[in-house]
Amino acid sequence: MIGAQARSQIAAAGVFLGAVVLVAVYAPPWTVVIAAACALWRIAVASGRLPAPRPRRGLRFVFGAVTALLVVAVLLSFRTLNGLAAGTALLVLMGALKLLESRGRRDDGIVIGVSLFLLLAAALAGQSLARLPLYLLLIWGACAAMMVVAHPGVELPARAALRLSARTLAMAAPLAVACFLFFPRLGTQFWGLPGGGGAQTGLSDEMSPGAIDKLVADYEPAFRVRFEGAVPPPEERYWRGPVLNSFDGYTWRRDRRVFYRYDQPELLGDAFRYRITMEPTNRRWLFALDMVDASPMLGVALSYDRQLTRMEPVNQVLTYDASSHLRTRAARPLSRAARAMETALPEGPNPRARALARQLRATATDDADFSRVVLDWFVSQKFEYTFEPEPTSIDSVDSVLFDTRRGFCGHFASAYATLMRASGIPARVVTGYLGGEWNPFGHFLIVRQSDAHAWTEIWLDGRGWTRVDPTAVVEPGRLRLGAYSVMSSDSEPLSVAVWRTPFIMALSQYWEGANQWWRENVLDFNLRAQLGFLRTLGFGSPQWSHLGWAFSGLLLLWLLWVTLTLRRSVPRVKPDRIARAWLRATRKLERVAPAREPAEGALSYAQRIAAQHPALAVSVLSIAHRYTRLRFGREPPEQDEIVALEREVGTFLVS
Amino acid sequence: MAAAVRARSALATRAGALKSALRQRAAAWARRRHGEDRLPVGLNARRVYILPTRAGMAFSLLLFVMLVAGLNYGNNVALMLTFLLAGFTLIAMHLTHRNLVGLVARGVATVDAFVGEHAMVLVTLESGGKGRRFAIECEMEDSTRVGVTLPESGTSRADLSVELERRGRRRIRRIKLSTAFPFGLFRAWSYLHLDLSVLAWPVPRGRREPPPEASSGGDASSLHRAGDEEWAGLREFRSGDSPRQVAWGAYARGRGLLVKTYQSPAAQHRVFDLASLPGNLEERLEQLAAWVVAAHARGERYGLTLGGVDIAPDNGSEHRRHCLDALALHGEERP
Repeated sequence: MIGAQARSQIAAAGVFLGAVVLVAVYAPPWTVVIAAACALWRIAVASGRLPAPRPRRGLRFVFGAVTALLVVAVLLSFRTLNGLAAGTALLVLMGALKLLESRGRRDDGIVIGVSLFLLLAAALAGQSLARLPLYLLLIWGACAAMMVVAHPGVELPARAALRLSARTLAMAAPLAVACFLFFPRLGTQFWGLPGGGGAQTGLSDEMSPGAIDKLVADYEPAFRVRFEGAVPPPEERYWRGPVLNSFDGYTWRRDRRVFYRYDQPELLGDAFRYRITMEPTNRRWLFALDMVDASPMLGVALSYDRQLTRMEPVNQVLTYDASSHLRTRAARPLSRAARAMETALPEGPNPRARALARQLRATATDDADFSRVVLDWFVSQKFEYTFEPEPTSIDSVDSVLFDTRRGFCGHFASAYATLMRASGIPARVVTGYLGGEWNPFGHFLIVRQSDAHAWTEIWLDGRGWTRVDPTAVVEPGRLRLGAYSVMSSDSEPLSVAVWRTPFIMALSQYWEGANQWWRENVLDFNLRAQLGFLRTLGFGSPQWSHLGWAFSGLLLLWLLWVTLTLRRSVPRVKPDRIARAWLRATRKLERVAPAREPAEGALSYAQRIAAQHPALAVSVLSIAHRYTRLRFGREPPEQDEIVALEREVGTFLVS
Repeated sequence: MAAAVRARSALATRAGALKSALRQRAAAWARRRHGEDRLPVGLNARRVYILPTRAGMAFSLLLFVMLVAGLNYGNNVALMLTFLLAGFTLIAMHLTHRNLVGLVARGVATVDAFVGEHAMVLVTLESGGKGRRFAIECEMEDSTRVGVTLPESGTSRADLSVELERRGRRRIRRIKLSTAFPFGLFRAWSYLHLDLSVLAWPVPRGRREPPPEASSGGDASSLHRAGDEEWAGLREFRSGDSPRQVAWGAYARGRGLLVKTYQSPAAQHRVFDLASLPGNLEERLEQLAAWVVAAHARGERYGLTLGGVDIAPDNGSEHRRHCLDALALHGEERP
């Protein structure tokens, strides 16, 4: 038989274990192991499987020392105690230590509180649809555990606690929905999410040979796109990311120190409008369909090279609306400074490539023709498109064009841009993504890290910056299909191959559709979306205060519903025989004396009457004494004594 | 260091004093508001109070932190969980409240005891509505808290005990019924204000020999007139006496309330007299209590004379109780 204290401890330890599992991916592994071990140990001790530790002198000292040691360990591993990740690690350890020294119900309550804080940390770190059921389960468990800790007696089995908690949470759900819809959100953030938590993912702003290849094995989504209206054809789905304009012969970089004026180009053709939901990258740039018309939101700048840069790193899911045109024409010619910058090429590296450029330039009539000549040369060389190219030498372009003759998109883009710059044509490398997978259930495009791509832009007088994708001539299939589809299946990384089996792909598309709905309608339900929702409800010009009114009204309705549902009819308690007799006596007395004061006891009342009306004294005192003895005397009252009281009251005459 | 500790403990004492003063004022206010109760008492919503417990306040602090974090980071999942827990808390409040509302206090019985022992107050409670009631806690000042579960029908009894430290009548101003069921986040409570007291009898202690047995003398005895009983005199009115036995003639002559008593002839009895004993009052009362207890155990007839209060010789447990009550209340009030 498990005792009350043990039940309380098991409940608290169980909830804590669940909370630790939730934050397991966000907290350092060693803290998770310590916490899980403590929780399991506590459960084992409480359920009698392990002997309980005997209290020893000095244990408190050891305990304090261990606590200090663990705090220092967290401090050393994070270099701060501030921030979500460090805070989570600390909470995990503190909860574990509390479990070790659990002495009473109060300690168990604290452990449950720590678990709920861990839940908050988990929710702040990850709010994907897949985790939602886990969060709800933990809340359910925590509520039931609160009940067990508050009332650990055996009269309340754990199942009853779970049932009552489930019922209570179900009743709370309508309020949660109402709050979610109408509780006014803040328009801005008062303080930023503490940094230092997330690693940077996705494309970087420099490209060495082989940099993009690494992303190919990453099947994680980079962003999702929902189009409003027409969807661009697959070969036009270039998603523009970091633009690289500085080359040292091996690595392309984005040089932040230089820039030049570039006016808004003339937009040709129809606009494509879309909404992008971007996964956090902890980097500062945003992606948009090439070429984006304008900055999509406040705090995001559109730079001279048409790159979207945000002031803050994208550290949580970000949604923005943008519009793009597939064709543009420059409004004015490139300035000399700009031309100098976009044609800069170091003298030393890649001598063979520069020689080739000079040789081919002689056969071409103008810049556009030269571009065509170079692409023809690429085709004639029968380069091999692979995402497992050999490492290149320091002269990366020479190495790819003349030695290995194999490469991935980055290699060809780099080589092409080098050839262009070598013959004085402004050229730059653009990185981003190409393509994307259409989700037929959710009607959106999902662009994955494995769709990472690099292409080039060259300046043609009269047209402006023009996109040229050398990969498209080396491997024409890449444009319409994903990188994998154009390669032999045995070169496909296993991490990707599993996902691309038809059955799993269909399933994952369903799942992706649900996820996208979750992101668009739940996670991005901000103040603007709230006001938009109000508008659909018929508010003319919705404001913040309308939200407050709607919220308060629904809160009141809900409270009313809860009150009515949980109302318990209060029975009319009938006075019993003893009370009835006493009542009759006092009613008789009311004719001659002021009524009994509410706060007056039976005996003091009788004494008062006796003093005022000596004629009644005996009867009144006798009745009051008899009544008091029957009411509060030994249990149970004797039947004949009740009868005696009744008879006495009955014969009692007040004149 | 020591000064700081002293200051802190002084502060804690003052905080404690303030807290208890507040509590007393609240209790006095509730007493004035509800007045004296008449059993049976049904707890309606008007007399049930509710406040968050310490755990409940900590929990609302946690909710507040969750709300601020969720709002600030625009994290809708954290917000949704917060709202869910907020709703849960409000419902928890209702559940705690309804666990007490509608409960019926059927009866209260008291069991007196000797000084140093525990007097009992037995509170009979009934669910009074549909369903069981869990974890109803019952307490009074200085008593332990006793938890009971009330069955769907029928009654449960909470036995409260209170240690008696001083001889005499001990008033029980209120009985507190409370519950923190189900989640321990709120405590609902209600007071029963009953005209209730327990008596602390003097401890039966003393080594003196009891006075010798005497044949029926001039002292008063039984109230009831049986066939072979003869007139035994008048004595003062006391509780439980029937008005029929009051000597109305004597009352009319201004001699106060007197009761006619009768006695069966030739009965052996002892009379224990307070005045016959030396020493201080408490010791003498204890000696008398010891004689009463011993005489009762032997089944003898005995009477008591306590300067002004005379109890005619009699026997039986009712008589023993009567005598002990008189000893308990000696010098305080008339029994």
